[in-house]
Amino acid sequence: MKARAVWIIAMLLLGVVASGCIGGEKETTQTQAPSAEVQLTGDFTKDVIAIGKVLEQNGINEVKFSAWGSGDPNSVMRVYGIVEAARRINKIWADNGIKVKIVITDTHYVASFQDAYKEYLSKQPLGQAGDFFVNSYAFLPTLADEGYVLDITDYANAYKSVIDDFYPSLIEASKFNGRLYGLPQDTEARPLYVRKDVAAKIGLDVSTLPEKVKNGEFTWSDVYYWAKKAKESGAAEWGLIHRKGSAHPDLIQFIFAFGGKLYDEKTGKLVVDVPAVYKWLYVEWKFAQDGLLPKDIMSWDWAKQIHPTIVEGRTLFDIGGTWYWTEWQTKQYYAKGSGEPRGLKPEEVKEWFAYTLFPAGEKGGKPVTLSQPFVWMINSKAGAQNPKYDELKDVYHKLAFLMLIKASDPDINAIHSVISAHLPVRKEAAKLIKDEKWLNDLKNLNLDLDQTVKDNIKDIVQATVNPINAQFLADVSYMLEYTHLAPAHPKYPALADIFKEAVDKVLRGEMTPEDGVNYIIQKVKADPELAQNVEIVGEIPKDWKFPQ
Amino acid sequence: MNKINREKFTALSFFLSPMILMVVLFYLVPLVMTVYISFTRMRNWNVEKYLTEFVGFYNYQRLFYMFQHDPTFKAVILTTVVFVGITLIINVFGGLALALATFFISEKPASSFRLLWLLPRMSPIAVYSLVWYYFFHGSEIGTLNSILMKLGVISQPIPWGQTVPWGAWSIIIFVNGLVGVSFGMIVFTSALNQIPKELIIAARVDGASAWEISRKILIPLTKWHFLYVLTWQFLSLLTTYPHIFLLVQWDLVNKDYGTTLALYVFNTAFGRGEQDQGLAAAAAVILSIIGIIGGFVTLKVLQFEKMMKRPRGDF
Repeated sequence: MKARAVWIIAMLLLGVVASGCIGGEKETTQTQAPSAEVQLTGDFTKDVIAIGKVLEQNGINEVKFSAWGSGDPNSVMRVYGIVEAARRINKIWADNGIKVKIVITDTHYVASFQDAYKEYLSKQPLGQAGDFFVNSYAFLPTLADEGYVLDITDYANAYKSVIDDFYPSLIEASKFNGRLYGLPQDTEARPLYVRKDVAAKIGLDVSTLPEKVKNGEFTWSDVYYWAKKAKESGAAEWGLIHRKGSAHPDLIQFIFAFGGKLYDEKTGKLVVDVPAVYKWLYVEWKFAQDGLLPKDIMSWDWAKQIHPTIVEGRTLFDIGGTWYWTEWQTKQYYAKGSGEPRGLKPEEVKEWFAYTLFPAGEKGGKPVTLSQPFVWMINSKAGAQNPKYDELKDVYHKLAFLMLIKASDPDINAIHSVISAHLPVRKEAAKLIKDEKWLNDLKNLNLDLDQTVKDNIKDIVQATVNPINAQFLADVSYMLEYTHLAPAHPKYPALADIFKEAVDKVLRGEMTPEDGVNYIIQKVKADPELAQNVEIVGEIPKDWKFPQ
Repeated sequence: MNKINREKFTALSFFLSPMILMVVLFYLVPLVMTVYISFTRMRNWNVEKYLTEFVGFYNYQRLFYMFQHDPTFKAVILTTVVFVGITLIINVFGGLALALATFFISEKPASSFRLLWLLPRMSPIAVYSLVWYYFFHGSEIGTLNSILMKLGVISQPIPWGQTVPWGAWSIIIFVNGLVGVSFGMIVFTSALNQIPKELIIAARVDGASAWEISRKILIPLTKWHFLYVLTWQFLSLLTTYPHIFLLVQWDLVNKDYGTTLALYVFNTAFGRGEQDQGLAAAAAVILSIIGIIGGFVTLKVLQFEKMMKRPRGDF
């Protein structure tokens, strides 16, 4: 028995020694393992080359990525920006003899950003969501909190010079808990559009309006006065038209216009600012009760009712977004005259519409606007469809980040701004849209762009690139100084839903403004989780009158 | 186990296994999973993060708190009761009426007529719902409003789906009734065709009218089919939501009075900015309990056990 144990131990020792020898021999014959690490230096070309080399050494010659985006019909650069970035990186690799290529396998673009978000949410855990995802910053906190998007803070530190060129408030909007989770893609303002032809009929001078609004002299009481005049004189069917569906973000502006707030920095909680919310609901109620705003506007059809009513001049005022300006040119909303729907000409848009900030709620208040920056985010599983993902995960993620840096090139950002009437997110891009020569090159698509991108934006470019639209962007960019951002809080979408329901009920006359406020409070309190995250402050003001 | 029993067991296993497999896969497993999820903090599909984060009865407590305090939840419960109740009557009795009506006419027109009623079931839900969206739209772009205005019946468009509660209820009941009635029709038609023709011929010879034949012969002989359609449609209506979802989503019908409990579960799990699968699972478990109790009561009232009795005579 003892002898057998000695034999077994001896054999085991021999085995260990032998395997060590064999292993050692293998070490010597094998070539050095390819590196799977790259440090970002901030020198774009150098970093791209370094990543290309690592991929090449690991036998990867094709990197697959997909890009998901959403929004209005003219905002397709939200995905084609990624396609173009891939081409630019591929060119750097080709120029340096690196045989690796990025292939964008899927450019998924849908109209509804809420639907796109839901799709991303359900497919990300399954590894089926896009590697790049552009959507409202409002969803970023939830996506970051769940670990669905990549924390790019450390990568961005190496590219400080690029990051610093973005408007700081937009970089802030791309953060959650102090960490950066994306790069701003665009932003916008939400002006109050005024029909010049209707205004002329009732004697409203639109030329001085922006200034008066800026100074707080023209408030929502004046909007009411003129809307009523337009309606009663028969100059327009409606006094005011605004969005349908979610009250976020256009209608939320009322809260800020009445000096209210939506977020408490100190507690990190959302706020239902009762006086401001009451005044907002009162204005909506008053407009609807007096027949100046359709009672059922929240269930109007965008394409068949809302936009046609505005472009055909059946309303004096409209609360809209800057992107309406080009959407009216590319979508066929106007059917007056021939009855055949068509898009407006840039000259028509310029001739028919004046625009100002969203006026202050009452005298002494400040005008506002609201931005909902769209942010390019990277899936935390970006690159998972490629070989050796586990080993090269970090390299794929860094490459994805560099693609975002490239997709944020001033010219790509400026193209998006001009064709979709969104505001640029970088100072360099803002300069570019004022450059006539560049605009002319864009008009003729005489730019160094991927053919797929050119093919996909050709029609939009034809319809939208002209000095009138560029001038419009330049004219509205001052509005960003007055901008507010809705809070980036995971519970905010739930609160915005409740606001929408209250507005709908008040407009339809099912509830008084007071009932509306109580309804909001009751709904918030009914959900213990929401109640924990929301502060209800102030009281319904007594003796408050509208119009004043 | 003796030889005969073993053979019987083998035969039973052979015939029952597909059904048992289906029940286990598509009913038991999801049910167990739903119950499990209802005890976790699952949200935003984050299985990795929340699947093992147990919260006990937290979701149920939260749900009951919301039931008590949410000003719109009463509407959801009322809508569920009215929607299931009335649509069930339409589906069951409508199906029976259609089957009887087509029973007394010649086969060719009867087939065309049945096909017509099957059309909604054959159309994709989104297309079908879109048709009714534009039909009932509350403005002048709505077909119904446009027709009535042209005929001079109304001068202003009527927001049908926003007239609460009956306007919203009427639309969801109408749309789902049209789809559901064909199911009963098919089952009852098949049942009626199984009845020996001699019975009907004899009744005819004795001078019985179509109504008398229906009342005295046809309806009593389709009792079990009636029970089947009733139970099936009850459970199906209790959990149905796709048509309603689209009509609510498109703002055709009032959100409160257009939302049934099943749609509430769906919206909580997948619909809002924050998707709360744990809370939705708790609501789904309650819905399942209601379904099980309701199904059991239906079977008991209609004496299901009688149908399951071994038939008399040779076996």
